[in-house]
Amino acid sequence: MKKVLSFVLNGHEVSAEIESHKMLLQVLREEFQLTGTKEGCGQGECGACTVLVDGIPVDSCIYPSFEVDGKSVTTIEGLLGEGNVLHPIQAAFVAHGGVQCGFCTPGMIMSSKALLDETPMPTVQEVRNALAGNLCRCTGYVQIVDSVLSAAEKIQAEIKQ
Amino acid sequence: MKRFEYYQPRTLDEAFERMGNLKGAGKYVAGGTDVIVRLKQRALKVDALVSLRGIAGLGDIAHNGALSLGGCALFRDIERNEVIARDFPALHQAVSMLANPQVRNVATIGGNLCNAAPSADCAPPLLVMDAVITLEGPRGKRDVPIESFFKGPGATLVEAPEILTGITIPAITPGTGSAFLKMGRVSQDIAKVNAAALVVMDGEVCLKCRLSAGAVAPVPLRLKACEKLVEGRRIDHDLLEEVALTASREVSPITDVRSTDDYRRHIAGVLAKRALGDALKFSTF
Amino acid sequence: MSALRFIGTEAPRPDAPDKVAGKAVYIHDLVRPGMLYGKIKFSSFAHARIKSIDTSRAERLPGVRAVITGYNTPEIRIGFIKDNFALKKGKVRQYRDEVAAVAATDPDIAEEAIELIKIEYEELPGVFDPEDALKEGAPLIHETDPRGKHRTDNIVPVPWKFVSGDVEKAKSESAHIAEGYFTTPLIQQSCMGTAGCIAEFDLQNNLLIHTKTQIPFLAQNDFNRALAAMGLKGKNTRVVVPTLGGSFGTGLDTHGYEYISILLAYKTGRPVKIVLNREEEFASLSPRQPTRTWISQGCDREGRLTFRDVRMILDNGAYTSWGATTPSVMMLPISSIYRVPNVFYETKIVYTNNTYCQAMRGYGNPQAAWALECNMDQLAEAAGMDPLDLRLKNKNIPNDITPMGLNITTCGHEQCLNAVAERLEWRKLRGKGAAKARGVGMASLFHVGGSGRVYRSDGTGIIMKLDDFGNVSVIAGGIEMGQGFTSALALASAEALGVTPEKVTVVTGDTATCPWDVGTHASRGAFTACNAAILAAEKAREKIFKLASEHFMPRVHFSLKLRKKKDPSFEMPDLNWERICDPSEFDLKENVLFLKEEPKNPLLRVTLEEILREAHFKEQGTMIVTEAFYDPCNQMLDAATCRGNLSATYIFGAQGAEVEVDVETGEIKILNFVAAHDVGRVLNQQTIKGQIYGGIAQGVGYALSEEYRTSKGRNLNPNFLDYKILSAPDMNFPIHIECIETLDREGPFGAKGVGEPGLVPTAPAIANAVYDAVGVRITDLPITPEKILAALKRNK
Repeated sequence: MKKVLSFVLNGHEVSAEIESHKMLLQVLREEFQLTGTKEGCGQGECGACTVLVDGIPVDSCIYPSFEVDGKSVTTIEGLLGEGNVLHPIQAAFVAHGGVQCGFCTPGMIMSSKALLDETPMPTVQEVRNALAGNLCRCTGYVQIVDSVLSAAEKIQAEIKQ
Repeated sequence: MKRFEYYQPRTLDEAFERMGNLKGAGKYVAGGTDVIVRLKQRALKVDALVSLRGIAGLGDIAHNGALSLGGCALFRDIERNEVIARDFPALHQAVSMLANPQVRNVATIGGNLCNAAPSADCAPPLLVMDAVITLEGPRGKRDVPIESFFKGPGATLVEAPEILTGITIPAITPGTGSAFLKMGRVSQDIAKVNAAALVVMDGEVCLKCRLSAGAVAPVPLRLKACEKLVEGRRIDHDLLEEVALTASREVSPITDVRSTDDYRRHIAGVLAKRALGDALKFSTF
Repeated sequence: MSALRFIGTEAPRPDAPDKVAGKAVYIHDLVRPGMLYGKIKFSSFAHARIKSIDTSRAERLPGVRAVITGYNTPEIRIGFIKDNFALKKGKVRQYRDEVAAVAATDPDIAEEAIELIKIEYEELPGVFDPEDALKEGAPLIHETDPRGKHRTDNIVPVPWKFVSGDVEKAKSESAHIAEGYFTTPLIQQSCMGTAGCIAEFDLQNNLLIHTKTQIPFLAQNDFNRALAAMGLKGKNTRVVVPTLGGSFGTGLDTHGYEYISILLAYKTGRPVKIVLNREEEFASLSPRQPTRTWISQGCDREGRLTFRDVRMILDNGAYTSWGATTPSVMMLPISSIYRVPNVFYETKIVYTNNTYCQAMRGYGNPQAAWALECNMDQLAEAAGMDPLDLRLKNKNIPNDITPMGLNITTCGHEQCLNAVAERLEWRKLRGKGAAKARGVGMASLFHVGGSGRVYRSDGTGIIMKLDDFGNVSVIAGGIEMGQGFTSALALASAEALGVTPEKVTVVTGDTATCPWDVGTHASRGAFTACNAAILAAEKAREKIFKLASEHFMPRVHFSLKLRKKKDPSFEMPDLNWERICDPSEFDLKENVLFLKEEPKNPLLRVTLEEILREAHFKEQGTMIVTEAFYDPCNQMLDAATCRGNLSATYIFGAQGAEVEVDVETGEIKILNFVAAHDVGRVLNQQTIKGQIYGGIAQGVGYALSEEYRTSKGRNLNPNFLDYKILSAPDMNFPIHIECIETLDREGPFGAKGVGEPGLVPTAPAIANAVYDAVGVRITDLPITPEKILAALKRNK
């Protein structure tokens, strides 16, 4: 069965006719060509497909697409500012070596975004717990945690100014 | 992925009707973190999913002494609920250790129970809290104690097209403390063994004790012999050791890809003992 | 060497911005016009005869464009000794054997079609234990060898044996001997980006394949042979490598799915994409070999090593990959870590009906180090020595040639051991934590640091192309797979040429445009490519200075005249503007040419781009493109004696852990971790730490949680639910990294290869710490709480 879904995607109202068995990840990648969201496992274990639905991080690979109707979805592409300006979290991952192969990175950044929206100045333990659903095989997480902590400071400093 | 239809009823009656029409070829889905994954693994074959996410009120959490959780209450919301963290710490702890943030953001407590994994993390706390489960079907409502809810791995008392609509946890009395512990292979894991304890203390004496363990039998288990040992006594080191031994004898675990029967038996004892000790610390008498 | 401007800085990676923005294109993201989706039907048995294949229902499914089997396609032999086939005929030898495949217009249709293919099998007795496979009367996995000769046993015809001195004599003369038996499990590389490719043919029947590989040029060679087998002899392959989502050795061989995608593309005339899902990645890629190691070592009364005796059995699985050559790298530490005069080493590689194996990060070294370094602690105990003292006593030293013929030049082994001991507070903590069940342990590492010649050529090419704006394209044969190759190469190229790093664009991953390279493996990427870049940069500088000799003074004159026009008060210096300078008078730094004699003179400076434009746009102009091919000064091992200087330099290191064991549950908690590595020179502070941190995380997973479980050849945990790689909360302990710089003469700016070693000594360091804490020695990885608790019970 098919249905026309309407939702807000990275700030823009969109709609598309989607088959009922498609997950949100397929809709983003195939229908909207937003391939920044990755499929690492397809079973909600690795977090590479993390996107925000109404601001909350979910594994889009097991999120039924029909459930997104009327909601707001933010993907990694939605964090980039006008003129390709990196979001402070993205910039921190670049500056602090939070990226190696990069495949887990978009999901990792989306989880970090949700964390900092809810907990602007997290502890190391809070960062690690917030990223528990995002596996990385390259970095050992040290520089990822550094990146998130540094982004938190940058964002707070910007707010204070 | 195999094709399936996806229905989104707005009311319980609509859901019952849809499920009835599917004649066994459909399945309810809430957060989908178990059902969708099993579909993808081809461990589950259905023609249609009937989503419970759109049914108003099923996700509510209410507290008026007793705690009422809608069947579709999100782990995310339970984890962030301050009353639950204060009065029902075993449930709070279980929920905050369950899977990972993304899963907790969509998975529901009713889904976790209906999936009926012997390792379900929210089962041991609900067992020690004497929770009551409400099932609703086209012919009405029934309440069942959680202890009789599980029938085996993946099997429950729910009869299609019934829906688990609520869980009620009785109000705590003064002197109550509870705790949950879990052991996995790594921090984010299905439990090798999990356990919960609840005590009601009158000074040094334990008036009421509830102990439970998961992943050590075909269903999440009450450790009644242990409970009997503890009730009416002071909880000291020797008693805790006795509890550990007794718990190990009460369980009947298996060996699988996650652990061995011997180890699980031993750990059931250790976790029962430690959970009891922790529950004592949380006791607010 | 004058002060370095970019090498050794903490530089962000050039590939990072695209990756954080989700703009990097992986194989998953790539779509070609008219593309079909391929899917493979794998075997349902570990060992069986194929009786019949019925593809008719799959063929009739709307959207299916091709269904292929071994019976309706040309036979393509693959693998290190060509004992494998793209599609199987006659019999299957492992669960992951490819029996049929489809191409369809949609991935869901392809999946449906696969389920419609019916195959009848006659099950055969299987053999799943390599020692059982060696027994007389064991079922034969292969009845014939690739040449058709009858086989009588299950031994893979790739033997490895190294003998030096007289081990038996040394045994009888040793004061102390320690024996041990150690095993390691199958390990899945667990790249976050799964494997995949898109194959397509042009109208001349040349193949274009986008694929996830570490060896584009060897893959090109493999695929060209496949084309010949398909009747397309003389046709060429262009391999293009998209952004890799990790590789860790998975890309060291070409795989069945690549050949199947080629066959499907040829049959349909359309591009065919096959991307493995996670379950397929687990069940049908090749994991790291499991090993069984019998080891003994001895020492004299003073603790000097007298001998080392190591015998191994490797479970090859059903077919043979390049993984069969990992004993050549295992042999390095086995023959040469710590100075030991008498060595016996022999490995048998054995066919079974298990999944066939491949190399993974470390290329056999993690397995060797597990046995060696645990056994060193056993020997220390037998000799009544502190394990640190035993290691220091026998440490490797600079300027030493080992019995295997390894020419050790720079060597920071002693500094590494001391650094770990100091950071771990070894002298204070070792042997004193029993009351709290705490302990410290350490292990050393010895690995190739200057590539490893496992192929006839160990070379790598670089093309350096300069444009009118002073931009430099560095076109390289190596591959970025996340390790930081492009970053190291950009910094080295900028440093060597005299430009700033943002002027450098590294171009990789296309066999049609990039110069040849044997592959990005053996921690060789940065070592070889940066060396090649230095050679190419020298050539470019020579050309630049030649152009400058003609254009420098006139250009200075021109720009000063412009300045005078704008600012009449400016006083024109009195110089000979017509002077033709000698090329040797120039230097180039940070995009600016100047005279060596007057490096500080603000007037006598011309940018590189100005000179390049002058040279380009004059009549009969010129541009600068240089190339270099660097082939390190190393040797292939002698086939008979296994002697030879395999690497141009060697990397040393030590890691140490402090752990606490929960004696009631057997759980291990790491309290502190230290890694000291002799890296030659740090090229990029940020990426080198990333390599070591990441290696340690994989090493801790190897030590504590990772195990690819099988039952009669079938994988039991083909997902991250049950194959446990570590997550961020698991790695919540301090890690201190110390990079010891020994400035190797063969290394680019003194650097050695650092890609693999991070994980090599991690597991034995943890095991040794556990022993110090609670007195139990776990000999089979992973060190699970189950094993610890069982051992604690036995000890009681």
